[in-house]
Amino acid sequence: MSSNPPPGQRPVPRYQRDPGQPPTPPPGTPIPQGPPPARPQGPPPVGRPPGPPPRQNPPRPPQPVRAPQPDDPPTQPIPRVRATPPPPPPRPARPRPDDLPTQHIPRVVDEETAEVEQPPEDVIAAAEADEPPAKASEDPPKETGRVVVRSIGELLITAGLVVLLFVFYEVYVTDWLSAGKQSDATVALDDRWKGQEDPQRKTQFQVGDGEGFAKIRIPKFGSDYVYTVLEGTTDKILEVGPGHYKNTAFPGQPGNFAVAGHRVGKGAPFNDLDLLDPCDAIVVETSDSWFVYRMLPKSSQVKDWDKTKAADPKCQRVGTLRTNAADGGGYGKTVGQEIVLPSQSAVIAAVPNRPDAQVPAGQQASLITLTTCHPRFSARQRLIVHGVLTHQYKKDSAKPGELPAELQES
Amino acid sequence: MYGWIWRHLPGPLPVRVFEALLLISGVVALLLFVVFPWIEPRLPFNQVTTG
Repeated sequence: MSSNPPPGQRPVPRYQRDPGQPPTPPPGTPIPQGPPPARPQGPPPVGRPPGPPPRQNPPRPPQPVRAPQPDDPPTQPIPRVRATPPPPPPRPARPRPDDLPTQHIPRVVDEETAEVEQPPEDVIAAAEADEPPAKASEDPPKETGRVVVRSIGELLITAGLVVLLFVFYEVYVTDWLSAGKQSDATVALDDRWKGQEDPQRKTQFQVGDGEGFAKIRIPKFGSDYVYTVLEGTTDKILEVGPGHYKNTAFPGQPGNFAVAGHRVGKGAPFNDLDLLDPCDAIVVETSDSWFVYRMLPKSSQVKDWDKTKAADPKCQRVGTLRTNAADGGGYGKTVGQEIVLPSQSAVIAAVPNRPDAQVPAGQQASLITLTTCHPRFSARQRLIVHGVLTHQYKKDSAKPGELPAELQES
Repeated sequence: MYGWIWRHLPGPLPVRVFEALLLISGVVALLLFVVFPWIEPRLPFNQVTTG
């Protein structure tokens, strides 16, 4: 059609830009050559200043009148309109006075603003109906290529936004979702503790999977840092809160009370686990007791521990657990913080990193082990924190709100 | 793609804007509450246990 002109000629839009190609115009539009009237308007930039407001334009109409030729005026006004940046003034002026010229001009303007590709004849139709169908039917090859490229670009941008949204979900939305589940678990645990008035039922720790049985507090992370610990370490349980590795010791028992927690999203209970320092308190509350664990010395501090940190009142009962044996004894590989591979399940053994150690149950230390992912946003490694039980308080039913002094630390 | 959707939204401009927002929020909700929870355990971001 008009969009596919003879080989030598460019598509319509260029024709419109280039007044030198008169033959291309589609049949419907009378666009002959009418240089004379155009020139009078060529000066307009100069002549306009006197009449910037549209109301002064009415005087102009007489100009087109000078060129009474029926078809001439419309054609050349078009190129001019484009050449001169400010089209608005001409628009209002022309339509009012004369019929023929006015009608052509608005068309040109429409083409500029909307799509340059459309030939003038279809502008009217396009303006009335949807533009796209008109385009598609006019020049399919060029248009489909453009649509494909544009669609690919849009898809890529969309993919980027989806990834960003996923990060947002991972870091924030899961927090919101988990906060509700955690508070539900806490309420359920409190209810169970309240109903558990019978003093005979002490520290039984018969809990089902996903059931809360203790609360963990780390005063260094703030006085409001408290999470209900649930039994089990499946993904679903860990969404609710820190999970207790099954078949490891329960709070206060000899052995290793091992707990896993998320570091990013889902409440991120162990987000700052790397900020814990040796001797920092980790307080675990059960139905009838408080257990105060303190982080063990880091590997670099083990050697000089007795000379340096042991003087700190917080560290009074925190030892290296080493014996005089060459390898440090059963706990020779137990340090406060370590970063291990995900496969190293020995860190939660009763004697950490020595699953085969022959330490009699009576001589086993009561440890706590916290595990989370490391580094953040990665499952490459695990961050492990070990602590040792230093104090233990029985809850006094006469003073239900009493908290151990260690919670005042920061 | 988006242009096609926009052109096929019925109604005047304000209605179209409303419809577009509705569509966007629907897609976002679908991603947040269905797709991401499903895909998340399959991605290696947040495993915290050992063994």
